Amino acid sequence: MKKNLQWKVILVLAVVAGALFLAYPFNDAKIKRGLDLKGGIHLVLQVITDDSINIETDQEIARLEELLKKNTITFQKVTKEGLGRIAVQGVLADEEGKTRDMLEEYARDWDFGFSGDRANLTLKPLVAQFLRDQSVSQARETIDNRINTFGVAEPLIQRQGSDKIVVELPGVDDPERVKELIKVTAVLEWKLVKAGPAPDEATLLQATNGQVPDDAEVLKGDPKRGQSGFYLVDKVATVTGKDLRTIRQTTDEWSNPAVTFTLNPDGGARFEQVTGANIGKQIAIILDKRIQSAPVVEDRILRTQGGVIRGRFTPQEAEDLVVVLKAGALPAGIRYLEERTIGPALGADSIRQGLAAGLVAIAAVMIFMIVFYKLSGINAVVALLLNVLILFGALAYFKAALTLPGIAGIILAIGMAVDANVLIFERIKEEAALGKGVMSSITQGFSRAFTAIFDSNLTTIISAIFLFQFGTGPIRGYAVTLTISLVANLFTAVFVSHLLFDLTVRKTAKVLSI
Amino acid sequence: MQLFKTPHLQFLKYKYIALAATAVIIVAGVLNVTAFKGLKLGVDFGEGTLLRIMTRASSNEGDIRSLLQTVGLGKSVVQKTGDTGREFQIRAVEAVNTKATEQDQLEAHEKLADKIIQALRGDDGTAERARGLVDLNAVDERTLTGLLEGAFPGSGPDAALKILSYRNQTGIITGYQDISGIGLKPEVQTFLKDKTYLGKLTVMSRETVGPQVGADLRRKAVQATIWSLIGMLVYIALRFRFEYGVAAVFTLFQDVLITMTVYSFTNREINLPIIAGVLTIVGFSINDTIVIFDRVRENQKLMRGKPLEEVMNASLNQCLSRTIITSGTVFLTVAALFFFGGEVINDFAFLMLVGTIEGVYSTIYLSCPVVLFWQKWFKPAAARRR
Repeated sequence: MKKNLQWKVILVLAVVAGALFLAYPFNDAKIKRGLDLKGGIHLVLQVITDDSINIETDQEIARLEELLKKNTITFQKVTKEGLGRIAVQGVLADEEGKTRDMLEEYARDWDFGFSGDRANLTLKPLVAQFLRDQSVSQARETIDNRINTFGVAEPLIQRQGSDKIVVELPGVDDPERVKELIKVTAVLEWKLVKAGPAPDEATLLQATNGQVPDDAEVLKGDPKRGQSGFYLVDKVATVTGKDLRTIRQTTDEWSNPAVTFTLNPDGGARFEQVTGANIGKQIAIILDKRIQSAPVVEDRILRTQGGVIRGRFTPQEAEDLVVVLKAGALPAGIRYLEERTIGPALGADSIRQGLAAGLVAIAAVMIFMIVFYKLSGINAVVALLLNVLILFGALAYFKAALTLPGIAGIILAIGMAVDANVLIFERIKEEAALGKGVMSSITQGFSRAFTAIFDSNLTTIISAIFLFQFGTGPIRGYAVTLTISLVANLFTAVFVSHLLFDLTVRKTAKVLSI
Repeated sequence: MQLFKTPHLQFLKYKYIALAATAVIIVAGVLNVTAFKGLKLGVDFGEGTLLRIMTRASSNEGDIRSLLQTVGLGKSVVQKTGDTGREFQIRAVEAVNTKATEQDQLEAHEKLADKIIQALRGDDGTAERARGLVDLNAVDERTLTGLLEGAFPGSGPDAALKILSYRNQTGIITGYQDISGIGLKPEVQTFLKDKTYLGKLTVMSRETVGPQVGADLRRKAVQATIWSLIGMLVYIALRFRFEYGVAAVFTLFQDVLITMTVYSFTNREINLPIIAGVLTIVGFSINDTIVIFDRVRENQKLMRGKPLEEVMNASLNQCLSRTIITSGTVFLTVAALFFFGGEVINDFAFLMLVGTIEGVYSTIYLSCPVVLFWQKWFKPAAARRR
C-alpha cells in the first residue's frame, strides 16, 4: 500500500469509529427523537408582562401614601391613572417643593411632573422594560421549577422573543393537567371572613348597605372545590404562600386528599395571633382569588403547629397544589398561544412507517446502484452507508432531535449523495469512451465531476444555513440534518469513494467494472 | 451498463413553447390560488384545530360527520387515515369571531376540540364513570400506576407500563382479550375488568395554533425561504456569472409556484412539514441546475466560438443520462415514501413526486433559456463573441 493511501485509510477508519462511538447503539438515549416522532406536548405561552407593571404601580401607590403621611404632606388621594401611571391629587401649592424633594429622593424609578395640584408620575421606560423582562425570566424559572417538581424527563423550557416561553414535554400524556399546572398563578392567601357565604353579591352586602368597606373585598368560591357562594373578606392577608415553610400532600381524618403546611416563624406568629383573636370566626383559604375553603377557627393555632387545607380535592389536584406551592407563584399571568399534543401512539406510528419507507427506499437505491454500476456501485453503496452513519454520529454529538422534516432533509441529502456518485461514474465512463486508461479515467472523472458536486452541495448548504438562522422549529430540524449530511457527502462521495477505487482497482487493469 | 449513447437532442429548439407552457401553468396557478380555491392553510398557520382520533369499532367518515352534525359542526372536514379503518383526522371549521382576543380565539378552538370529542363520545362511559371506573383507553401513566399499585403493591409500575406500551403500539385497546397476551397476571386482568372500562375512542393528537403564532410562523417561513434564495443567488453569481444566479432563482420561484399549484388542486393543506417539502424540491432543482451550469462552464472553454445555445444543448445532452438516473433514483425513493410512509408523510411525499419531475423540466426549460435571453438582451456584444 502506498504511503499516502495509508493515512487516508486511517482517517476514514477513525471517522467510522468516531461516528459509531457517538451513535451506537442508535437508541433513544443516543439519537433524540422530536416530539412529532416521540409524542408529547408542545406549548407556546405568552407572559402578560403588563401584570408586572400593574403590581409595581400598586405597590408604589401604597408606598407613596405612606411616604406622604410620614413627611406630613397634605394630599387628597393617590390614584392609579393607568399602566405605570400614578397621580397624587390635592397637593397644596406651598408644599409642592417639599413633595418634589420627596419624590426626587424616594421615587427614583419614576418620572414626575406637576400640573396644578396634581403630581403625575410615570414609570421610567427603562425600568418598565426591566420589570417586563424580569417577569418573563421569573415566569420561566417558576415553570421550570413546577415541571421539575412534577417530574418530567428531559423537559425543554425556553424563552422565545421578548415575552414568549416555549415548553416542550416529551412523553407526557395528560395535557390538560400539565396546562393547568403551568397556568395557575398560585398566589395562596389566608384572609379573615367578614361575611358570607351568600348566594350573590347583593345579599352579601346587605349588612353594609350595598357598599364594600374600604378594608375588605368580595371574593367568589371556587366551584371546583364545591364552593359556590360569595364572601366578604379582609383586604390584607393574614399569611400568604410566601410564609410557607413546608407543604405536603396528605389525607385528612376522613381519608380525603388534603394538603398540610407549616409556617415560617414570622408567619407562624401572625397566624397564632390572628387565630387566637378570632376563635369561632371563619378564615378563608384563597388560591388565585378563588376561595378554596373557609373553615371556622376552633382554637388558637400555635406557631409551630401549621394546618391543613381541605377542599374536596382529587388526589391529583392535591398533588398539583403541592407542586405549584413548592415552586412558587408566577410573577405575572400567562396565556397560551399554541398547543400541540401528539399522542405516543401517533409518534410510534410515524416512526414505524417512516422507517419502513426509508429502508425500502434506501434498499431500492442501493440495489439499483449495484445493478447499474456493478462493482463500482458497491463503492457508492459503501459511501452512502458511511454518510448515514456520520449523520447519526453528528446528531448524537449535537444532541439534535430527529423530526419528520429532518427525515425530509435526509432524503434530499441521500438523493444528492447518489447524484454525486452518478456524476462521477458517468464522467468516468465518458473519459473511458475517449480512450483513456482505467486509472486516468478514474482520476479525470473524479476531478471533472468535483466542481459540480462541490458547487451544488455548497449552494444547498448555504441555503440550509439561512433556513436554520431564520426558520422555526420544524424548518430548523430540516436544515440541521441536511447540512450535516451534505458536509458528510463531500467527504464520503468524493474522498471515500475515490479511496475505494484506489484500493481496489489494480494499476494494470484494462477494464473497469462500471 | 450504459443507458444510451450520448444523444443529440435539440432541447432548446422548443424553448418558446416551453416558456409559453410555463407561463400558462403559472398564470393558472396564481389565478387558482387567488381567485378560486386558494391555498388551504393548515393548523400550523393559525387556522383552527386538528384532531386525530382512533375508534374502538370500525367506523366511517359519514357516521362521524353525522355525529358532529348533532352539535352543529357538520362542516368539519373528516378524513379517514391509515388502513385500519378506525383512524380519522378531523379539522374543525367554525367561524371564530375575528375581533376576539388572541386568548379567546385559542380557547374557542380548544373548546371546539373538546366539543368534537364530547360529541363523538356521546354518552359513552358516563354510567361507568359514575361508578368510579376509569377509561383504560384514556388514562395517563401516573393515574394507572397509582391505581394498580394500590391494589397490587410492588407491581403497579410494571403492569401499567405493559398496558400503556401495548396501547401506544396499537393506538387503542379494542377489548380486554387484547391485553391478555402481554404478560399481565390473571388477577391484574380481573382487577382491570372490574375497575376500568374501554372508552370508544382515543385522541391520538390535537393541535391548536393561535392566530398570533400562526402569523408569526407564516412570516418566518417566508422570511427563511427568501433569505435562503438570496444566499443561493449570491453564491451562484460569484461562482458562475450574475445571470446564472438570476436564472437559478427564477427557476426556483417557478418550482415553488408550480408545485404549490398542483398541491392546491388536490385539496391538501399547507403545514410546516410541507414547507420542508417545498424546500427539498428547491434543493433538488438547484442541484440539477448547477450540474448543467457546471457543464456549460466547462464546455464554454472546450467549444470556443460556438453560440451559447449550442453549448447549452451539448451540455444538456451530455448530462442527460445522469439527469435521468439521478431523478429516477430520487423518484424511486419518494415513491416508496408515498406508498409506505404513512399518513403524516403522505402529503409531503406527494409534493415530492410532483417536484422531482418538475425540477428536471425547469432546469432544461427555464434556467437555460433565462440565461440565453439575459445575454441576448443585456449583453448583445458578449453573446455574439461567445
